[in-house]
Amino acid sequence: MKKEVGINQLKRRDFLKAGLVFGAGASGLAAGYAAVPDAFARAVYAAKKEGAGNDNILVMIQLAGGNDGLRTLVPLADPTLHDLRPKLAGPMVSQALPINSQYGLNHNLGGIKGLWDKGKVAIVQGVGYPNPTFSHFESIRIWETGDPTRRQVDGWLGRTLATSYDSNGHPLTGCACGATNAPGALRDLQATLTVIQNQKTFGFTGGGEVEAAVGALYKGTPGIYGALFDTAIATATETMATLRTSASTYQPMADYTDNVKLVYSSKNQLAAALQLAAELIVTGTGVKLLHVTLGGFDTHYTELNRHDDLMGYLDSAVSAFYKDLAAHNMADKVLIATWSEFGRRPKENASGGTDHGAAAPLLLIGNPVHGGLFGSEPSLTNLDSTGNLKYSVDFRSVYQEILSGHLGADAQTILGASFDRVSFLKAPVAV
Amino acid sequence: MATSASASSMKRVSLAPAEEQVATPRVITRGITRRQALAAALATGVGVGAIRLIGASMQQIATTRTASAGGWISPLGSESAKLMHLLRRTSFGYTPSQLEAALSDGYDKTVDRLVETKPVEPPALAAAASPGGRFAITEVQQWWIDHMLNTSNPFAERITLFWHGHFTSDYRKVADNTFMYWQNLSWRRMAMTNLRSMLMEVTTDPAMLRYLDLATSTGANPNENYSRELMELFTMGAGNFSEDDVRESAKALAGWQLPQPDSFATSQGNRRLPVYTTQKTGVFNQRRAYRGSITYLGKTGPLDTQGVIDRILAQPATANLIATKVAQHFVTARPSASYVTGLADTFRRSKYDMKTLMHSVFTSSEFASDANYRGLVKSPAEFMLGASRALGTNSLGKLIAGSGSGMGQTLFDPPDVNGWPNNESWISSNTVVERVNFVTAAMTQSKAVLPSASDAVHVQLDGVLSSQTATLLNQAADDRARWFITLASPEFQLK
Repeated sequence: MKKEVGINQLKRRDFLKAGLVFGAGASGLAAGYAAVPDAFARAVYAAKKEGAGNDNILVMIQLAGGNDGLRTLVPLADPTLHDLRPKLAGPMVSQALPINSQYGLNHNLGGIKGLWDKGKVAIVQGVGYPNPTFSHFESIRIWETGDPTRRQVDGWLGRTLATSYDSNGHPLTGCACGATNAPGALRDLQATLTVIQNQKTFGFTGGGEVEAAVGALYKGTPGIYGALFDTAIATATETMATLRTSASTYQPMADYTDNVKLVYSSKNQLAAALQLAAELIVTGTGVKLLHVTLGGFDTHYTELNRHDDLMGYLDSAVSAFYKDLAAHNMADKVLIATWSEFGRRPKENASGGTDHGAAAPLLLIGNPVHGGLFGSEPSLTNLDSTGNLKYSVDFRSVYQEILSGHLGADAQTILGASFDRVSFLKAPVAV
Repeated sequence: MATSASASSMKRVSLAPAEEQVATPRVITRGITRRQALAAALATGVGVGAIRLIGASMQQIATTRTASAGGWISPLGSESAKLMHLLRRTSFGYTPSQLEAALSDGYDKTVDRLVETKPVEPPALAAAASPGGRFAITEVQQWWIDHMLNTSNPFAERITLFWHGHFTSDYRKVADNTFMYWQNLSWRRMAMTNLRSMLMEVTTDPAMLRYLDLATSTGANPNENYSRELMELFTMGAGNFSEDDVRESAKALAGWQLPQPDSFATSQGNRRLPVYTTQKTGVFNQRRAYRGSITYLGKTGPLDTQGVIDRILAQPATANLIATKVAQHFVTARPSASYVTGLADTFRRSKYDMKTLMHSVFTSSEFASDANYRGLVKSPAEFMLGASRALGTNSLGKLIAGSGSGMGQTLFDPPDVNGWPNNESWISSNTVVERVNFVTAAMTQSKAVLPSASDAVHVQLDGVLSSQTATLLNQAADDRARWFITLASPEFQLK
């Protein structure tokens, strides 16, 4: 049967014609985003695949600001750590939760340690890329697009949506939870995605009447922003319809309450975002790729308590999320992965903090995971010329394993190349 | 998916056709598929959606014209439309009397007035004397929004808002709301001066000293945070300096500390809290400074803070970055390289004078070119204040202060050190819904008598409407419905 050309595709073509690029605002300026895509080089009407190889789900957790890898996975037995970090090293080593004789998890990662003990946590060490940039915005863009050469404009998850799923008419296939703006990783001119800050307030005041009026108002809007506005409203109304169903059937089966005091916020926003993610997952909205963010990791000063608090935040939110998924029999489908634009400098600064660094460990959590340590230990004595940890695993190796092994997507097409494998999945579906 | 709003679904919103309804404009897309419509549009080079209203009456909404490929029909050939375009981009909307004043002055004189008029000092915020700056940030937020609503010089607030996003600071990390309040006062006073003195002001601003950690940096053990962002985000941009430059200027800049308080108070938890009775800037402590030669941006020798700033200003990349950012904020999301270079040259030649730069921006042909008509998306603050002004009320400060978050902009709480992204980044499923909900709330809470809605189509929307907006306005039952459509329309989100 001939596939209907959806309204969003047509609009996106208008959009492309107008030559506007997602993400090229002020942050684009700072990060040097490419100016204009070659609209007609793209096969806008290319037939979409009906879906990826399975119904697995990915949840990416962004630790924004540059997470200190040495305080996440602590090298317990390396005396150099104390030389580099006279103020910070003592408590982080003495309090850490050992996972073997060499390493311990941050003492606030007790819930994740419990999952580690059950073989549900893989830690890939020394993840980075060649010639690291120490700019937040350049490095975020590199991680979001999966392209250290900085030519790619679309996000790696956005490209996955566009190539591997039919998100047309299914706006919840990709969703940024707890955000107001689309994260770069999910952006792609040909992919539809939803952004929901808070599902309790996501809806039109005035209900169906306003919804119908606004739906009529935002159609065929002219100008370079027209398609973006129309798509945003169409996506929002479709999402509201889906949420109306899901809200009535979802009962959280875990405790998301905030029992950690965070420096940056009085409430655990990550827990709220993950609870929304859980709701979308367990109610069968068709959500596949989710993105949530925990900010505050740019710990240039008084890192000790601030980073501990952030670890506690991550831990309580992820633990509750996992319990909720397990109680709803969905834990087998869901892979949770953390990412951050860089680690931090091994040597501490005068402010009791650390400056921008390079390689750092990533956490992969969930039933699909083959637990253990992967990659090789970064050396504290063999630092690079900027005094930073050298990477041993290209971050795109991790992406590749997620894409092909967990989602059953064509990693080579999405990433533009193939990379060494990191076997952190129990039963990869395709390679 | 709500693919098409049937007539019956519109009736439910009391947007039903009025008894005296004139002929509905012919909407080309109705009755044929979008694919057909688009194919036709592409083939003939005409768009499918824009309508330009002629004349001043709602009765004439039915008059339609086709536009060039999918774009809005620019009215900027007319002096009045050009002035409304200027005011929309340099203020927070306008009242009929503000528009009349500009119309009687003409475009050039209005530009001179915008650029030359001194900012109006906001009333003092009493809470700022609280020990340790411990008072709610919502007080500062609402204080500024009230001033934006009431000031006789809204451009001073617009340009202050620009710098608030550029030289940004986050109240959470600064952890002293008196410092945040001071920063706002300083940015307003310096906004239209010159970049050389501004950079010194920014470097020694107490909130900034906290936010980017310069206050705790020492020559012996420098903190790189301010050094890096000063170059990457505030002046030169990524790619124009090396990691060595970051380290070296971190040494050169070290030594600044927070100002001494006038006195101390004791908190309930028995903590000593600083009390400031007057606004202060950071102080330089020579003992914390770096002693020695510094190699920075290609030169070696002793270097102090002014030296760092002057070397940054000697780099062409600096004027280029500021010009690009100003252009993206005030002119077009995608300024051409030649336009930016022209502005940057003017800026450098004027010794980085902001008045010269902004005058040059507003009088450039690009600023009011047809291609750049509705080429920018209003920030949440501009949208909310503009809606409030259009409704003729200045009593919605509290609603405005509380509504920015869902649209992606909470004042004094930027998403990161790069401030707020702009234009297309303001548009998502979440933010657009929040904008519509703000209109509903504003119309519910406003106590002012609704101004004429038929004037609004011309005064607020230049009489340039999409066929959908025109259709809905035409079918609206009353002025309330017309105001809702006007303010919730895509047209009103743009500038």
